[in-house]
Amino acid sequence: MSGRRDDIPSSGDGNGAPIDLDRLDAIVERLATDERFTDVEVQPEYAPDRLMCRYDLGFYPQSVQSARFTIAWFENGDFSLHYHEEHEDGTFDHRWDRHLSTHNSRDHIHPSPSASTPGDDASHPEEWRDVMSMVLSEIEERQQAFWTE
Amino acid sequence: MEEPRPELKADPDERRDAPDFDELVPLEELVTGDRTRDDFFDAVLGLDSPTTASDVADLAGHGVDAAREYLEWFERLGVVAQVTDSPATYERNQEYLNWRRVQRLRDQYTEDELIDLLEKTAERDEAFAEEFGAEFPDAVTITAHAAHIDRSIEEVWRDVSAWKTVRRRISLLERALQTDSNDTAGQRTTA
Repeated sequence: MSGRRDDIPSSGDGNGAPIDLDRLDAIVERLATDERFTDVEVQPEYAPDRLMCRYDLGFYPQSVQSARFTIAWFENGDFSLHYHEEHEDGTFDHRWDRHLSTHNSRDHIHPSPSASTPGDDASHPEEWRDVMSMVLSEIEERQQAFWTE
Repeated sequence: MEEPRPELKADPDERRDAPDFDELVPLEELVTGDRTRDDFFDAVLGLDSPTTASDVADLAGHGVDAAREYLEWFERLGVVAQVTDSPATYERNQEYLNWRRVQRLRDQYTEDELIDLLEKTAERDEAFAEEFGAEFPDAVTITAHAAHIDRSIEEVWRDVSAWKTVRRRISLLERALQTDSNDTAGQRTTA
């Protein structure tokens, strides 16, 4: 592990922290008006304290019934970013995480189809905006792949 | 991330109306916001320990003179607090950000709605206290608790984080319901 986050006294670091509501506000401000999403809302009923971004279905063929990206960002820099698709006959999930774990390094992913634990160790960018643009790019690559033979 | 399975892909008919991804706002631009101010705001949101202007400049991707100016401005607003003098270091002023959130709750909700929210949140708090057999989330050590109840660290981490968020929300709601005007969190209010 490396980077500034690891220099922080460990009071909150290894032991959880509240959701970073101020960071979620900054994210909402930027994503809410983007054409990619039909809906960007904090604290939807099904996942309190998370930010849920619903993708416009115009980016998918009819086989995809819904697609959403859910963001949990914590005051100590931990995060859990979850991409979820619904199809007629199943779902697709992919999660990018940074948090305490014994099954993986602090940075890791849980890839579909099973999004199982343990996932794969990963090394996410240090800065939160870089993490966001990396993750959104990966989602967009998948969206584009729906349209190629 | 995996490519979609072949049967999920667009058929030739659909492909004629494929979306134009090139027309979208590039993602790097989308997440960084429009302005220098956003760069500095994002940088200071991440300051959990005293940080110098030159490190803030690096984080924001701008010069140190601009960093000094923005830090002074953010300090006047209350978004950051200066921690040391020489060298000058700053950190995120969570107290102020909480205070601002309290004001927003007061604007957004009636007193009855706030009471209702507080009751619901308090119920979640009690449920967590029961689940963990502890009074406060800080009394729980994630690794020890996970080993004790034979659940994954990840599951326990998720619940402890949710509990901490619940506690934060209760304190904000309680403050929003206080009718006296003492709730300034020791901060200057913004002009």
